[in-house]
Amino acid sequence: MSRQGTRLDTKNVNSELFTLTYGALVSQLMKDYTNVEDVNKQLERMGYNIGIRLIEDFLARTGSGRCYDFRDTADKIQMGFRIFLGVTPTITNWSSAGDEFSLQFESNPLTEFIELPDHCLNLKYANVLTGVLRGACEMVQMEVTSWFAQDQLKGDTVTELRVKFVKRLEDAIPAGED
Amino acid sequence: MSITISAVRPRTSILDKSLSRGRGEVSLSCYALLFSELVQYCQNRVYTVPELQNKLAEMGQEVGVKFIDLLFVRERSYKREIKILNILLFVKSTLWKALFGKEADKLEHANDDERTYYIIEKDPIVNKFISVPKDKGSLNCAVFTAGIIEAVLNGCGFPAKVTAHWHKGTTYMVKFEDSVIARDKQLEDR
Amino acid sequence: MTVHNIYIFDRYGTLLYYYEWNRLKQSGITREEEAKLMYGMLFSIKSFVNKISPLDTKDGFLCYKTSKYSLHFFETPSSIKFVLTTDVGAQNVRQFLQQIYSQIYVEYAVKNPVWQNNKPIKSELFKSKLDAFVKQSPIFVSKAN
Repeated sequence: MSRQGTRLDTKNVNSELFTLTYGALVSQLMKDYTNVEDVNKQLERMGYNIGIRLIEDFLARTGSGRCYDFRDTADKIQMGFRIFLGVTPTITNWSSAGDEFSLQFESNPLTEFIELPDHCLNLKYANVLTGVLRGACEMVQMEVTSWFAQDQLKGDTVTELRVKFVKRLEDAIPAGED
Repeated sequence: MSITISAVRPRTSILDKSLSRGRGEVSLSCYALLFSELVQYCQNRVYTVPELQNKLAEMGQEVGVKFIDLLFVRERSYKREIKILNILLFVKSTLWKALFGKEADKLEHANDDERTYYIIEKDPIVNKFISVPKDKGSLNCAVFTAGIIEAVLNGCGFPAKVTAHWHKGTTYMVKFEDSVIARDKQLEDR
Repeated sequence: MTVHNIYIFDRYGTLLYYYEWNRLKQSGITREEEAKLMYGMLFSIKSFVNKISPLDTKDGFLCYKTSKYSLHFFETPSSIKFVLTTDVGAQNVRQFLQQIYSQIYVEYAVKNPVWQNNKPIKSELFKSKLDAFVKQSPIFVSKAN
């Protein structure tokens, strides 16, 4: 099953084209919105739209089934980053309850050429990623939230994306049945 | 006493980092979905197909302007092209390879207009997954790529207008300004 | 060998796509009613199969068969449901449905920019790719009638 999946369209594009296209999008948003918070929100929303579709590609490629537990989820998210962005974040800082972990990035194709000017310090440049995770997990019946705990663009040594499990979502019941 | 210029004190400035070799890759689906968000975002902010095309072309230009820098900073051996044919070949092979990992399929000169050239790409990646709704028949999202080409040509000193058309897949029509043609002729005369 | 028709549902029970190749008899109700009936049946049979199972189930409901046709079911972890009816002799249909998911649905429906979550698929590209994909499969090979 999984072998069959990986045979699929594994074509890649130059990551710089990706970086610059994302950059053009963010700068367009900065022009269109006066409030940086709105840009963050819009990026998250776009990420969500990408996530709900990217998950299908992930499932088709890997042939993976539903996650057994949240550690399993963490591994799959890590795998997703490797497949789609060509980077492997480190999974770390598990909470004692096992419902929260961090992904640490040493590099991130989204932010390759980026330096934030002072008036953009509240911009969560890579916020699209939090949306991607939310969308992708929602499609496999999991509600998660995520946020940047550290950010290289803000002077931190690493970029740390914190992911928190919220709840399991149930399958919809057809109308008229219960 | 110190004067604060930036609120963030970076450990290393971005200019201290060495430029990557540009071999990094991301998956095509990832790119396609990002592009699709970009198209939809633009679409929600305009009313007509031409407006949408303009918006996409503008964003492509933004990418193009930065991409020339990348290419030339990385490859010191690139010399400055002064002939139309050479700059077109540069676009067709070098730029295309850097962007899409392959050369463009074809380069042609229009029979009836010396200012016009065609770069033909059967299956551009930005259109790979796009099925244009019938009510938007003329829309070709490859105008984004056209924007990249246009910015590169302008940046290299060959002002031109580049548009994308549905013809043999996608055809990018490059129309140089008269001054460019005149300059080229002068060079020939010498 | 024959493929009769296909239904694709999302996780809310919306009929995303329907197409028929060789359907000699209609159900006599509207497509919406038929889809609702189909989705309801899938939902019930899935929970029934799991409830009644004497062992731990892995995949759950896969197909049912009558003397005239088989109905094959494939569900992704994202709860997209694919239903294909074929003649009773068709082999490896589940695998085939998986390919429809990964090579056609994901590629030409999901990645199309105008795709919308839980809205029926209108893409012409998807339609033609699916049609070609089904027609070239060994499960197809249409009978003359």
